[in-house]
Amino acid sequence: MTSPETATAPPLLSMSGISKFYGGVRALEKAELTVMPGRIHAILGENGAGKSTLIKIMAGVVAPDQGRLLLDGREVSFASPADAAASGIACVFQELSLIPDLSVADNICISNPPRRFGLIDRQAQRVIAAEALARAGADDIHPRILVKDLPLSRRQMVEIAKALARKPRILILDEATSALTAGDVAKVFAVLKRFRSEGMALLYISHRMHEIAELADECTVFRNGRNVATYKAGTRSETEVVEMMIGREYKNVFPPKPAHVSRPQPPVLECRDLGWDDRLRNISLTVGEGEVVGLGGLDGQGQRDLLLALFGVLRGTTGEILIDGKPQTIASPARACHENIGMALIPEDRKTEGLMLPMTVRENLSFAALDRVARRGIIDRDKEEELIDGMVRLLGIKTAGLDIPVGALSGGNQQKVVIAKWLMRGPRLILLNDPTRGIDVGTKQELYALLRRLADQGAAILFYSTDYDELIGCCDRVLVLYDGSVINELAGDRLTERALIASALNVDQARMTEARI
Amino acid sequence: MSDITGERAMERRLPKFIRRIDPAVATAFGCILLLLVVGSIYSTSFLSVEYLLQQLKVAAFLGVIATGMMIVILLGQIDLSVPWSVAVGGMMACAAAAFGHVGEALAIPFGILCGMAIGLANGVGVAYLRIPSMIITLATNAVAQGLMVVYTGGFSPQDSATAAMRYIATGFLVPGVPNAVIIWALIGAAAVFALTRTTFGRSVYAIGNRERAAYLSGIDTRRVVLIAFVVSGGLSAFGGVLLAGYASKAAQSMGDTYLLPSIAAVVLGGTSILGGRGSYLGTVAGVILITLLQSILSVMQMPEAGRQIIYGVVIVAMLLLYGRQRRTE
Repeated sequence: MTSPETATAPPLLSMSGISKFYGGVRALEKAELTVMPGRIHAILGENGAGKSTLIKIMAGVVAPDQGRLLLDGREVSFASPADAAASGIACVFQELSLIPDLSVADNICISNPPRRFGLIDRQAQRVIAAEALARAGADDIHPRILVKDLPLSRRQMVEIAKALARKPRILILDEATSALTAGDVAKVFAVLKRFRSEGMALLYISHRMHEIAELADECTVFRNGRNVATYKAGTRSETEVVEMMIGREYKNVFPPKPAHVSRPQPPVLECRDLGWDDRLRNISLTVGEGEVVGLGGLDGQGQRDLLLALFGVLRGTTGEILIDGKPQTIASPARACHENIGMALIPEDRKTEGLMLPMTVRENLSFAALDRVARRGIIDRDKEEELIDGMVRLLGIKTAGLDIPVGALSGGNQQKVVIAKWLMRGPRLILLNDPTRGIDVGTKQELYALLRRLADQGAAILFYSTDYDELIGCCDRVLVLYDGSVINELAGDRLTERALIASALNVDQARMTEARI
Repeated sequence: MSDITGERAMERRLPKFIRRIDPAVATAFGCILLLLVVGSIYSTSFLSVEYLLQQLKVAAFLGVIATGMMIVILLGQIDLSVPWSVAVGGMMACAAAAFGHVGEALAIPFGILCGMAIGLANGVGVAYLRIPSMIITLATNAVAQGLMVVYTGGFSPQDSATAAMRYIATGFLVPGVPNAVIIWALIGAAAVFALTRTTFGRSVYAIGNRERAAYLSGIDTRRVVLIAFVVSGGLSAFGGVLLAGYASKAAQSMGDTYLLPSIAAVVLGGTSILGGRGSYLGTVAGVILITLLQSILSVMQMPEAGRQIIYGVVIVAMLLLYGRQRRTE
């Protein structure tokens, strides 16, 4: 797996046989990685390939279930992120870890501020911060300014400086450039190259292929929790890289799709030029009766915001939403569930958004449909019971009773409760936000069959998933989002894993096709 | 599927009140028994029917006020405007009594309405302006106090309670059972019904557990919070009306001694101070427990300062106990 030249110099960090399971879900299995000093090592892989788990293990955020970490040839195990930091491993994450109301200097020195007589030595702190900022190529940022007064791209520079202040030997950058302006990216690249020449080891995770091409010395591709290939940068074409990222076992778990039929106009949902902040841009889409439309792309390209915007959760959205061809203003979820809209959202995090965990299965199941089982605000218990029984049977929810807390159920059954809760309203338009995350294969299959059945009964379904197989297997069409806008629509024969990954990475399709010829 | 129905049938065979009983509620009732036993060792009159009915009557005032507090606490909020909502209720009802027959007839609803107005301000502040309830209710409490000082000119109000107010607080519709107790029972029954059988009650529990999930389920969470605060303000004021009827007139500081006990009663009854969990039965137990504790301490001639210390310590102890319980779950 390792390239020949790694044998010549001793590796700084090597990981071998690393496995990590979350419940029954495999995040990493026998993964290997060797990090050499003075090299920039890029890590590639689609959603859920195990990249972030690998980084978390390196940074001491999670402990591996199996495997060894060798630092300078000595076995180490990190009990905490502070432990890893002390060993010279620093991380720069995409989601900013800065405290907005503190100054840049305070933030940079937050974990270990210089002290004098037991008090923080502000002057020394400013000096350290200024040095770190200069090293990061951001000496235009004053250490005394508050982080909240900086624009996003500058904050990301502070984040990098913060990692540098710990004088790391291994610097991990996880999508660290996604918030940067082009000018900053160029600066950061220059800085990273300087670090490389100083002998630092850099791990670079990005989905921007051109950045990797410009920067990386080696690349390792992850797939399904394993490293499948390590190669010298520039030796493989983009097509080959995409090819390596594909290749999950493809099981026949999906219900057959109906032949394409012409659908009655107007569509159940149509949105025109939907925008929000700068997270969503000019999104136009339609979802027709009986149609399952997928939302694809890499994680965090605006798919979640889109679903929330449609459901009336976000304030200040622009553009137009039409239900059955009539313009509607959806200002709140209460409005979205209303009879003449009939929308339902299966949220991303069932534990905090979908369910009230300490409340009973019964109370959770009927909660979204209380107005259906109540007359003038008084709950009709027989009617409630009847509807609940029907749902428990329909979805095959396995529970030791309806009066136990829903938190006692398994993840898959909890997810079924979330879905059942919405089906009780008989929605016509169902939005799903990554509903199969962390649930077992059996439940997933049931869910796929259910979605198709609902569509056949006339529901319109908009389905976001981080799992490409699911999108391909379940959806009639898939809209691929990149940076808050729809960049591609795939349907029929064009809906392949290769096309999905290529669009998700915003790799030029035409160029790829040429390369194949 | 068969195992579900089997389990459920078995569950049904158990009496409902045993199935549903919360360890915290059981603890509170246990403490009541313990207090009575300790009291009876001190003096046998603690077990007499008259004494117990008298205690129940005193408890009724706290019970009415604690009902509103409980709904607010179930939401994960708190209502610190209780002292002056109580005083406003009592004083405004007495003030209305000065306006002839019409005023006398409207005294009770007018007092309650004034309390609801305070609750409305609290509710708007918490639900729509997103001000933490601890701040806004403290502020409305101060404003209410200021308004009442302006109204009375800083002296104790001269108006006295109407006959109707005196009757509902001290009369006997059913021989032997004070009317205040009947009123508490009615309000309690309404609260139990509202909390367990209505969409409002379900929403209160849901918001207390996970406001985001409730909101995403299409519940108008702001309206529910608003209503809860209005109800709490109204019930506090109604408590004030009862107290004014009991004492025949309203007084400036009549509500001051109800803030801590009302929170304590709710928390001692097993309602989570973080919201989302608790039963009205527990609050009933908490109210009786607090009332008995107060009574026994005063019979034992414990000075006011000592009583305050004991309350505080008991609340902290109970919170520690329940907090531990929740973590181990």
